[in-house]
Amino acid sequence: MTSIAETASRLAGAASLNALLTPLAEVEASLTRQAERASTGPLAGMPVAVKDNICTLEYTTSCGSKILEGYRSPFEATAIARLKAAGALIAGKTNCDEFAMGSSTEHSAFGRTQHPFDPSRVPGGSSGGSAALVAAGAVPAALGSETGGSVRQPASFCGIVGIKPTYGRVSRYGLVAFGSSLDQIGVCGRTVSDAARVLAAISGRDPMDSTCEDRDPFQLPAPPENLQGFVVGIPKEYFPPDLDPGVRRGCERAIRILKDLGAAVRDVSLPHTAYAIPTYYIIAPAEASSNLARYDGVRYGPRFNGVPDVRALYQSTRGRGFGPEVRRRILVGTYVLSAGYYDAYYRRAQRMRALIAQDFRNVFDRGVDLLFTPATPTPAFKAGEKLEDPVSMYLADIFTVTANLAGIPGLTLPIGRVDGLPIGGQLLAPQFLEDEMLEAAFTLEQAVPGSEEV
Amino acid sequence: MSVSREEVERIARLAELHVDEAALPGLTEQMSRILDYVSQIAAVPGTETVQPFSPGPVALRYRADEVRPVPLALTPTQMAPAFRDGFFLVPRLGAFDAGAAGGDDTE
Repeated sequence: MTSIAETASRLAGAASLNALLTPLAEVEASLTRQAERASTGPLAGMPVAVKDNICTLEYTTSCGSKILEGYRSPFEATAIARLKAAGALIAGKTNCDEFAMGSSTEHSAFGRTQHPFDPSRVPGGSSGGSAALVAAGAVPAALGSETGGSVRQPASFCGIVGIKPTYGRVSRYGLVAFGSSLDQIGVCGRTVSDAARVLAAISGRDPMDSTCEDRDPFQLPAPPENLQGFVVGIPKEYFPPDLDPGVRRGCERAIRILKDLGAAVRDVSLPHTAYAIPTYYIIAPAEASSNLARYDGVRYGPRFNGVPDVRALYQSTRGRGFGPEVRRRILVGTYVLSAGYYDAYYRRAQRMRALIAQDFRNVFDRGVDLLFTPATPTPAFKAGEKLEDPVSMYLADIFTVTANLAGIPGLTLPIGRVDGLPIGGQLLAPQFLEDEMLEAAFTLEQAVPGSEEV
Repeated sequence: MSVSREEVERIARLAELHVDEAALPGLTEQMSRILDYVSQIAAVPGTETVQPFSPGPVALRYRADEVRPVPLALTPTQMAPAFRDGFFLVPRLGAFDAGAAGGDDTE
């Protein structure tokens, strides 16, 4: 439990990162009001920051976009209601790539977020504001959202823990839709325990989201003493020749530690991994182009003056309201769904998605409990480095996007530093086996020198 | 180039997205690069017979079909620029020059 004044002072200390979109005075006033509802829940008094694409009653929800600037949601996300019921205090909204489309938090209408250790670098994205605030010590945990790695990738860049639960574990009600078959609310945490406690509080069935599985809230496992009995697969496709040498060294050290902890380590293959990014960049923009049709100046978004007819109204609102990456994805998505291209792109991508999911089932059906991989191919890159080359930006998610396509849970945790920059390792588990993934994460976290050079 | 400038203009119309003339060449080049990149999945043999995959529950559960109040924290008056007698008021198209949306001249 942290006092309101202390939380406010920590948030103020991280102000230069541009990670928090809500004005500090507003956060402090809201925290004071929230704290008046005395609570004794499992997260009593815990300040949790929230990505700006999750609807809250306390603050505006702009999704990092000009088109929703100042938007106040008339309802709150199920995850937010559950956090509050568990006693947590909602500590403001965090910066993100516009509509969660990006891997660097540079595509925000409200300016880029800085990496907490090196202002010239990006914190990753799209939940870069959430990850940076947690890494800067401003809050113990923050909600993010994942469509292709948007929690795990920034968590890894910033040296903290990121969890993407199984698709359907957490209600998407109140999460602004991007790619509905991929989207899932995730958690950034200072430690595995902080992140897992928040995940436990927000999980479970919800009549407001028909894609949320009919399951009880997830129960936190007790940390095991060692990993005896765990079979950990190492997929060779995640260790390509051009993998950053520092990331490779860090992973090799983590794998040695897994063995020392008693886990049986086995080489495995996920043969369709190479097609994950192209598959994702057909399916996600296709779903985005449909989901973002509602920002038309009639249902959502500003109306501009001097427009002669309704199509001009749509086009001017959307043309002026969306930033460059969102426009690109809407256009790519519209293209792959359009007559004559649907079969060649979208249908083929859906089939490839099935093969990627089958790869994981094949490995997990053959006695492998968990997979261990690098979280990202490199440590945090420089701001501006990938802005003009969308495909190279997309490749930053190459190791995380597969879990979203297959709907399985993933967790990244710090496994060391290279020239002062954090690198992350990733655990992947079969659907709804977050408890096994967390058992391994608790144990590995204790044994790995996550903040030491490799 | 896998897409032409004309195709990008056609897609932009389908997407109801205004694109500036000046932005078209860059956008055409970037879309071409993205589409060339994602096209590589076409080269994978044997995908024709696979059933498409979607995560989540196999069957959707339906809620009871009954009329209930919508639990919103804001009233329509607070949410919309103008609301009267149970209706949202919108500007007359073509009358935008007269003032901001939802102003006095709305019907």
